[in-house]
Amino acid sequence: MARLPRVFRTSSFRLTLLYAGLTGLSYLLLFAVVYFSTATSMERQIDASVAGELTEIQADAQSGGLARLREVVRELIGRSPDYFYLLQDASGTVLAGNLPATQPLPGVRQWSRSAHHPREAFSGLRGRGVGIADSAYLFVGLSTAQLHDMQQTVVRAFLWGLTLAILLAFAGGAMMSVSVLRRIEAVSQTSRDIVGGDLKRRIPGRGSGDEFDHLAESLNAMLDRIQTLMEGLRQVSNDIAHDLRTPLTRLRQRLELAQRRGDGGDHSEPVLEEALRDIDTILETFGALLRIAQIEGGARVAGFTALDLDELLRTVSEVYQPALDAKNQTLVLQIEPALQVRGDRELLTQLFANLLENAVRHPPPGAHVELRAQRRRSGVEVTVADNGPGIAPEFRQKVLQRFFRLEASRSTPGNGLGLSMVEAIARLHDGELALLDNEPGLKVSVTLRAAKAQ
Amino acid sequence: MRILLVEDDAQTARYVLQGLNEAGHNVALSSDGRDGLFRAAGEDWDLLIVDRMLPGLDGLGLVRTLRGGGIEAPVLFLSTLGGLDERVDGLNAGADDYLVKPFAFSELAARVAALGRRPRRSAPETRLKVADLEMDLLARTVRRGTQTIDLQPREFRLLECLMRHADQVVTRTMLLELVWDLHFDPHTNVVETHISRLRGKIDRGQGVSLIHTVRGAGYCLGASA
Repeated sequence: MARLPRVFRTSSFRLTLLYAGLTGLSYLLLFAVVYFSTATSMERQIDASVAGELTEIQADAQSGGLARLREVVRELIGRSPDYFYLLQDASGTVLAGNLPATQPLPGVRQWSRSAHHPREAFSGLRGRGVGIADSAYLFVGLSTAQLHDMQQTVVRAFLWGLTLAILLAFAGGAMMSVSVLRRIEAVSQTSRDIVGGDLKRRIPGRGSGDEFDHLAESLNAMLDRIQTLMEGLRQVSNDIAHDLRTPLTRLRQRLELAQRRGDGGDHSEPVLEEALRDIDTILETFGALLRIAQIEGGARVAGFTALDLDELLRTVSEVYQPALDAKNQTLVLQIEPALQVRGDRELLTQLFANLLENAVRHPPPGAHVELRAQRRRSGVEVTVADNGPGIAPEFRQKVLQRFFRLEASRSTPGNGLGLSMVEAIARLHDGELALLDNEPGLKVSVTLRAAKAQ
Repeated sequence: MRILLVEDDAQTARYVLQGLNEAGHNVALSSDGRDGLFRAAGEDWDLLIVDRMLPGLDGLGLVRTLRGGGIEAPVLFLSTLGGLDERVDGLNAGADDYLVKPFAFSELAARVAALGRRPRRSAPETRLKVADLEMDLLARTVRRGTQTIDLQPREFRLLECLMRHADQVVTRTMLLELVWDLHFDPHTNVVETHISRLRGKIDRGQGVSLIHTVRGAGYCLGASA
């Protein structure tokens, strides 16, 4: 089969064809109804006029017999040109009238065009015949020319209308298809550009708010998301390259130093130990990155269960209590009982452990740490607050980025991934994370959704 | 201990084999899953160390088949799949412990020792005793000599864990897992601070210290270091 031009292969064009077909069919139905109902009503009108004329003739000639009737009919032929009359006697001889003799059949009769007829315009007639006294026969008819004219007009109008409608449907369909194709082509073109490397390209919308605009919006939103993820990925790989260079450089220097010192012997022991520690730090960083990636992957959501947050928080605080004591820091616990949330126990434990760890690590000895958990309308809010150095407002968003560390904390151990993980876990739980000013110090607020009552 | 190592990476296998042999274990190596399964089922082993990803038959399938066949030898999984769910999968398949690569050899050695010691289906103990330190698991009391020691629940669990593995090295990671059910490594010296607090209660004022720090490895409870 030969390939049709693209316009004719579009679904919108196929739809147009279907609509054109349906339009034609409904036109046809409408025509049939109009045609037959007008024809019937005109025929009925003819029948009524003819019946009236017949009655009148008979009334006029009531007393005069056949002779009188002949006179009346003759007179009428001159007077009313639309009517046709026939009066014949029992033997079939025409007594009066402008029609040829015929079978004396009573009732409604329809005569088609006849070559014998005297009048040129004769195009068929319709009338009624009655048998009268002495087996004579009287027929009165009316020309059906008007009826035929009307029928022809209706047919002609219908044909014109149908042709026009189908032409319009085709033209409209083709136009619609072309416009749809053009907009789809714009999407394809944008996709090709993006595949070609221009990641910033977006699908143009018309602003008309139609379904194509919606499609363009959705696709653009998807592209934005992909771009964000790509940028995140690129940033992470840059960060990895940067952040792992430092410990790797240190490791290399250490090993080189050990090699230069000579044969190994007793000197190499501490160097090797430090080298191992460096490697462990690097591996740990990788582990944490992998973990964040897995959390962000979202597969853990399937394993969410309802759990007691108050108990979890108490356990976590218990873990850190001695570490806080060792730094002379006080921990104030204010945890409402029976706080149920839905989530992953291990990840939530890690979230609050990371927050407490920061609260142990960053504030100076003797600081004050508070862990509060309370029911809110939006869920359960847990805050971990300290009166340490805090985080300047301009850095509060940045500390959530992977590997970002405040200058002040560069000297303390850590990989700059703790808060990134906190954010990833909070997001996985559809929770809200906010870093606030504790005046002075840092207050981290995590709001988790309350578990629905069973 | 007779140990079967099922590991396809030659270098890791050599590293583990050499280390465990030096520690006095008798280690055999199998380098693919199918062969590992036959050997594990065909002989009597004290411990199986199984890699998760193996040619032939993967580690999970191997352990499931063994457990399905009624073989109860303890299993330690080794895996580079350090993911959150992989550990749970491994333990659900019937493994007794799970160690993520890369690991420090001391960590593996400690876990191997702990698994080998695990009593097989013996009656639950009600009393633990190391030197003059006694723990009553039912009454939840601890005594050192004649002196009763008051411990908080978590300290009790920490001490119980150390006593169950008396004279063995218990690593920080093992303690985090067994005592606090933490499966990640906090940067803060959480374990150290708990141990030092426990030391204060157990060893302070006593002639002989029972809790020892094993440098670079973990802790060990016993009369002699």
